[in-house]
Amino acid sequence: MNGILVAKFTTFIRKPWMFLLFTTMSIIFALILGTSGGMTSISVPVYGSSNIQESFIGKSLEKNDVYTFNWMTEKEMLDLIADGKSEVGVIVKEDDFQLVVGVESTNAQMVEQTIHDIYAKKLQQEKLFEEVEAQTDSEKQLLDEEYKTAMDSPVFTMKTSNFSSSEAFVYDNETHFLFGFTLFFVIYTIAYNVLPILLEKKEGIWDRMILSPVRKTEMYIANLVYSFFEGYLQVLIIFLVFHFWIGVDFQGRFLEAVLLLIPYVFAVVSLSIFITACVKNAQQFNAVLPIVAVSMAMIGGAYWPIEIVESEVLLALSKINPLTYGMEALNGMVVYGYPLEEVLLPISILVLMGVVLMGLGIHLMERRHV
Amino acid sequence: MLELVDSTKSFKKVKAVKKLNMFIEKGEIVGLLGPNGAGKSTAISMLSSLMEPTSGDVRYCNKSILKNPAPLRKILGMVPQEIALYEDLTAIENLQFFGRLYRMKGKELQRKIDVILELIGLTDHRKDIVKKFSGGMKRRLNIGVALLHDPEVIIMDEPTVGIDPQSRNYILETVKRLNEERQMTVLYTSHYMEEVEFLCDRIYIMDKGNLIASGTKQEIKQILSAENTISIKADRWNDAFIASIESSPTIHRIKVEEKEITIVVPKEVNMFSELAKMAEQAGLELRSIDINSPTLEDVFLHLTGRALRD
Repeated sequence: MNGILVAKFTTFIRKPWMFLLFTTMSIIFALILGTSGGMTSISVPVYGSSNIQESFIGKSLEKNDVYTFNWMTEKEMLDLIADGKSEVGVIVKEDDFQLVVGVESTNAQMVEQTIHDIYAKKLQQEKLFEEVEAQTDSEKQLLDEEYKTAMDSPVFTMKTSNFSSSEAFVYDNETHFLFGFTLFFVIYTIAYNVLPILLEKKEGIWDRMILSPVRKTEMYIANLVYSFFEGYLQVLIIFLVFHFWIGVDFQGRFLEAVLLLIPYVFAVVSLSIFITACVKNAQQFNAVLPIVAVSMAMIGGAYWPIEIVESEVLLALSKINPLTYGMEALNGMVVYGYPLEEVLLPISILVLMGVVLMGLGIHLMERRHV
Repeated sequence: MLELVDSTKSFKKVKAVKKLNMFIEKGEIVGLLGPNGAGKSTAISMLSSLMEPTSGDVRYCNKSILKNPAPLRKILGMVPQEIALYEDLTAIENLQFFGRLYRMKGKELQRKIDVILELIGLTDHRKDIVKKFSGGMKRRLNIGVALLHDPEVIIMDEPTVGIDPQSRNYILETVKRLNEERQMTVLYTSHYMEEVEFLCDRIYIMDKGNLIASGTKQEIKQILSAENTISIKADRWNDAFIASIESSPTIHRIKVEEKEITIVVPKEVNMFSELAKMAEQAGLELRSIDINSPTLEDVFLHLTGRALRD
């Protein structure tokens, strides 16, 4: 087995081009698409006087991460809502606000909640400063500093989280494309590392190994360990580049995200074995692989969030797609901040898929004498 | 020593080999001849334990190897028809890889590699990448890999396909030397009749999955002992001449090539004057008429009605 691994690694060192190509493509695609905007936040038309726009209220609205509040005239705002281009609009005044709702939706309620929170914060601040004004100048300065210090490092923080509330992190363009393209391109890297089994069988290298004292299980294990290694190395490099170089925030869970890729890479190695066992030659393999990989990416949520897919058929197909579970596990942990127990289900499904596809693939290969 | 007993191999509805019986004794060079699709590769796959026969048996030293092929595999070297090498590795790395498969390591492996490289004449190219080798060098290394573990029996499946005459001679001489110096048993398949005539003690001829003849070179040529092969040469042929040859009742077989026609006739028939007459009537100028003793190629033509490389 060691001999086979040495030969594979030597070949890899001598010919790393395909590996480098897929790794680079993965990084480039994730970079271009991840930083090109996209569905980062929901746009909400808002009308208010120029004073309001410069006030605490206006600045707080502009700072909001989830919603993009676009200032415009009242007529423009009403037209957008009447045309159905916006679900909800807001008229902001000094002391209160008015919501113009076109469609009753969760977003309308969440926008109301967001603005309500801003007004509440403004009131709280005003109340505090009223109290400050009642004191002497030195005390006023002291209290002001203490207020700022208290705001910067509160005694405790309260995090409210629900579907698309102002604190929740529902969709992150950058991490989505990073995960999507990493999981997509690694399919090619791994599959093209499993393909040599087929070629070696055709060329007689496999026969030579069968006639040697090396056991068949060793032959398969060596090939699969190597394919796993190369696939995992690729995803690791991509994640390392994005984390340490590009500065992508993995919400402090980089190590867990990297470990989560193990069952995915294993499942893809098994899938590649299965595809290799089903085709007759390299030409068929080259024709089948892009179809499988692109379909997996499309229905697995690599190109766009699976949540926007409405077709029942596509959703059903996504359930037998390792990429779906890879994305689910990564998004669950990094984007939604779930604990490990919450992502055990997709991990278990990936391991199960890996075992089943590996068994089927090797059985088919042996039976068909591929 | 090694034999196929009534071995049949079917792939779905196609019978690639039909009830084949053949044996190889220790120290022999046995040739397996046949055109493409004759079933040679299937036969040697069964004989080398790589493929189980659909029916029949494969025996090594009178014991079936179908359940336990390990004793045979230990003493067997295989040279596949394809170049079964890692093209991105050097010659020495390939030999190291296959040597390690046979649990060889360290100085023992290095010593064996040096001997093999010397034998196949690639010592000076030991550190060259195989991809850059010529066809002949690849073929030689392909053979070298099979010899690494000192096999007693070596099966060579068309080892000289697509190489230059110089490399071909080198390979044939090497095989002959291995047999004479190390008493290595060789099963050599080819569709080059002259290679088999040069190398082999005994010959099996296969066609369409069947064994159609077997024996020593002399025994096989005896098949045509009652016939002569006549080679007629001319710059061009015309239809009238070919038609008159084909209509001659005394001619058993005919093979027409660009500038040569080969016919097989009974030994007692004197065709010389008749052929000259036919040429004159057809207005054709002949360059030569040679009467030859039968070759294996003639036997093959006689047995199958077609040339070996058709």
